[in-house]
Amino acid sequence: MSGAPAIACDYFDGLTTARHPVTLRVEDAHARVQGNGIDRRVPLNDVKVSERMGAAPRLVSFADGAFCEVRDHASLDALLAATGYRDPVVARIQSRWLWVGAALAACVGLVVLGYLYLLPWAAEQAAGQIPRSAMDSISQQTLAALDQHLFKPSKLPADRQEALSKRFALLATPDGDQVPHAIVFRSSPRMGANALALPNGTIIVTDELVDRSDTDAEILSVLTHELGHVQRRHGLRLLLEGSVVGLVVAWYLGDISSLVAAIPAALLQARYSRDLEQEADDYGARMLRFNGLSPSLLAAMLEKLESAHRPGGSGAGYLDSHPATADRIRRLREQR
Amino acid sequence: MTASTVRVEAVIRTVAATVESVPDTQTVTIAYSTPTMTDDTLPAAPPTEALAPIALRFTGSGSEYFRIWIVNLALTFVTFGIYSAWAKVRRLQYFYRNTQLDGSGFDYHGNPIAILKGRLIAFGMFAAYNFLKGWDSTAALVMAVVIGAVLPWLLVRSLAFRMRNSSWRALRFRFNGDVAGGYKVFLLWPIASVLTLGLLAPAAYHALKSYQHGNTAFGTAPFTFSATVRDFYRLCLRTAILFGGIPLALLLLAGVNGVLSRSAVPAMSDLASMGFWLLLEVGVFALYFALLLAMPYFLTRSQNLIWNHTALGPHRFECRLRVRTVLWLYVSNFFLTVVTLGLFRPFAVVRMARYRAESMTLVPGESLDQFVGTQSRDVAALGEELSEFLDIDIAL
Repeated sequence: MSGAPAIACDYFDGLTTARHPVTLRVEDAHARVQGNGIDRRVPLNDVKVSERMGAAPRLVSFADGAFCEVRDHASLDALLAATGYRDPVVARIQSRWLWVGAALAACVGLVVLGYLYLLPWAAEQAAGQIPRSAMDSISQQTLAALDQHLFKPSKLPADRQEALSKRFALLATPDGDQVPHAIVFRSSPRMGANALALPNGTIIVTDELVDRSDTDAEILSVLTHELGHVQRRHGLRLLLEGSVVGLVVAWYLGDISSLVAAIPAALLQARYSRDLEQEADDYGARMLRFNGLSPSLLAAMLEKLESAHRPGGSGAGYLDSHPATADRIRRLREQR
Repeated sequence: MTASTVRVEAVIRTVAATVESVPDTQTVTIAYSTPTMTDDTLPAAPPTEALAPIALRFTGSGSEYFRIWIVNLALTFVTFGIYSAWAKVRRLQYFYRNTQLDGSGFDYHGNPIAILKGRLIAFGMFAAYNFLKGWDSTAALVMAVVIGAVLPWLLVRSLAFRMRNSSWRALRFRFNGDVAGGYKVFLLWPIASVLTLGLLAPAAYHALKSYQHGNTAFGTAPFTFSATVRDFYRLCLRTAILFGGIPLALLLLAGVNGVLSRSAVPAMSDLASMGFWLLLEVGVFALYFALLLAMPYFLTRSQNLIWNHTALGPHRFECRLRVRTVLWLYVSNFFLTVVTLGLFRPFAVVRMARYRAESMTLVPGESLDQFVGTQSRDVAALGEELSEFLDIDIAL
């Protein structure tokens, strides 16, 4: 390969920043650097070539840290091709728009896949692994915080509370398993008619919800929905899903603005919360049918809650976290 | 290792290399005729004319970086984040190599494994804290204290890592800051500025930059930092007056109107009451807007201040970032990134990097050929191996 043309470049010896104008060529499987008093001959196996990075000079470096800085990309490409040099795989992918398009498609595909299937699945698996003591601790802290800010003690008579709890305890779960739970009553003028489930099985029912219902069966129907949240560990799953979505969005858009990052994160989480509501509805409907009750009880209750909260409601209500209520009501009616 | 022993070593090495060609497996033939090394104890010949300032040049492009970025992203996803360390090396190499001084690019040599280790440690600490925060606040507090105690040490190590793996013309940068100094600037000063409600924050920022720039070297040439605490206070005061003045005046006027609205004269009371709400709203809006502008202003000006007071041996730097250009870049990058759902991000990063690099000028005090390395050929020395083993780079 003695006929290969020499490339003009700069040589730096790794000891000082002095620039040595030299020529680089390949002869007998050796790199030969000559000029300005330099004469080096190094086997090609001991020579490293930096990846092409746009217009940046490429470095042909030797084991001792010295290198040639090459700006003549076309000549270097020709020389490298003649020696049979191949760029690393990633560098080749980056240099072709087709592959770049594939990478873009892969990114979008993986994000969609991860969002729709992988994360919900992983959250479900992880939620199942969280120990009982941890769920108790989280739930107690949450209840304490809610008691401090949102709830007042219930005004329902103790025997009425107990009767409702007992009636619910008589219902069998559709899967025949025991779902440990405890029903507690609170008054909350600010939250209005509402019920919520904590991870350890604590189900909070507001006095306002009891007042809104026409029959006890309607209250029981809401409790079956909440028990679905408990049985399927929805609280923890939503917590995990929300954390991951928040982290990813903040990482992707983070250096722009945390405020802007919060909006897409909230929108993305809404889908998860809707999916979990639907799952809890299905569980509730199954449990109601299993006990000879109609799923339309839950539908009726949802309608009441919607009418209670929508017209000039206080804002933060049951339905804000339960999107597309009309859809849910229709689904429940169809399940009869 | 002191400079003189390095020189002696280098001289021996050079002489040895000149006398005998090394008939080793490598068959390296070195014939140095340049007398740079042997003569560097002598003062450099005085320049016959003043050397022209040399601007940094940035040769990267958005479309090139986009390709690197998207491939990095895809591989990171596919490998569940493992590739992110390799991605970081590619990204930094792209920006370093495309930033050129006097025709030569910078280079980054970070070992992806060290970066991966650092990321795992950082992720572990973060995850442990968040995990504990959920149900055991005492343990979480202990964890927070432990993180606070370890973080300065990690930051010093990662500064050293970053510098040692940065080079220009085959000579490495170095960070020599000691751990004690690291604890001062990363722990004590921040605590002090919080305790004084920010009054000491400019001094803390000065201490940090002084520690960082004053302990960095290129080859054997040290960086020096000459900005004073007074300079930093002046900049902070300027920022506060420029951006805090109008909103505060508006809020003050609102307060006056608030007092007047309690006046006994009904007409005056109504007018003042209206004025109170109007001024309050305008004032709060102005304050929010001012805070939005104050940060880019402060960052731009402090960047100028810091680099205009940084020297490398006999060489000075000039940094001429303009606030309005930086603001324009921020705002336009922001909107384009949002509109393209983030796909503009690599272009935005390149735009900012180009402007930052090209605002920087080096004013040489002598020829740039005269920097001398310390131990660039001792890459495999035991000390290096050991610190390579401890290497972590926690900058996410």
